[in-house]
Amino acid sequence: MATFEVFLKKDGRDEFRHVGALEAANDELALVSARECYVRRGEGDRLWVVRRDHVLSPDRDFTAPNADKPHRHHSGEAVAARRKAIRKASADE
Amino acid sequence: MSDFSPAARQAILAFADDEHLMGQQHTEWIGVAPFLEEDLAFASIGQDELGHAALLFEVLVGGDDADIDALAFFREAPEWRSCRFVEQTLPEWGDTLVRHWLYDSAEELRWQLFDGSSIQALADISERALSEERFHRQHGDALLDVLLTVTDAQERLMGSLSRLLPSALTMFDGVAEEAQAISEGVVQNSLASLGPEWQARVDARFGAVDWQGVTARDVAQRTERHADFAPLLARMLEVLDLDRSVTW
Repeated sequence: MATFEVFLKKDGRDEFRHVGALEAANDELALVSARECYVRRGEGDRLWVVRRDHVLSPDRDFTAPNADKPHRHHSGEAVAARRKAIRKASADE
Repeated sequence: MSDFSPAARQAILAFADDEHLMGQQHTEWIGVAPFLEEDLAFASIGQDELGHAALLFEVLVGGDDADIDALAFFREAPEWRSCRFVEQTLPEWGDTLVRHWLYDSAEELRWQLFDGSSIQALADISERALSEERFHRQHGDALLDVLLTVTDAQERLMGSLSRLLPSALTMFDGVAEEAQAISEGVVQNSLASLGPEWQARVDARFGAVDWQGVTARDVAQRTERHADFAPLLARMLEVLDLDRSVTW
């Protein structure tokens, strides 16, 4: 048995979304099971079924350093603080 | 109550009862099928069969739920027109899988009998049901494709086939009024007329069967019930009988 990941897309501009996983003996049974397990109430009209071992997935270390880079976030707080400081300095002059 | 002839009613009822009981038998595997994915898939297919039955009951009595329940659940055993094949309870998964395949390969042919029916609603339901049957057959075939290549599974499944074939032939037993229903254009032909094509499908799937050695029990045109029918119906009524007047 292999593990498969299941993705569904609704009609329109929605993207494919991961909805779950299943185990199956081969590709055809994976498709048949996905149809009955995940789309039996018409939850989507496009289906992707992907073998989990075909998904490229590096270690967490591969992405961990990027979790600590606040300067790449666009909250505007840093700019607002800087402008506030400039205004205050101008008023004080 | 729709204004159909007695013959039309009996012919439709034979299919509705088969679909109803087959759907019920399938859904009883929820929670106990061999693995989770099959558990869900098989129950889902069972629900499709129940949906077909509901559509056929609706043709007979209209859209009122109480009328549909009365016809679907509250008839006495001799008034049912199911075949013995769908009344049997099969506790073994191998038997159940083989019945699923045998039933669906015949069901697909049976819906074609409604194609062009003098009752337009039946022709419409047939078109819808056939679009689903394709996937039911794909499901059964995909499982058998794998299992029939494994020696142990193959031996068990072929054993199931041998045991079930005599009973499976009861699917092709028509109601007493079948000839009249054909002359009225309700169905295109008799259930028995489907036998040869179905047998060819069985041969292609499982290997050539010695059909001469397969004899069906005399089933009295769907008026006799299998011993498993009464307990099956009791399970179906278990919740309804808590209060038949309640609206769900």
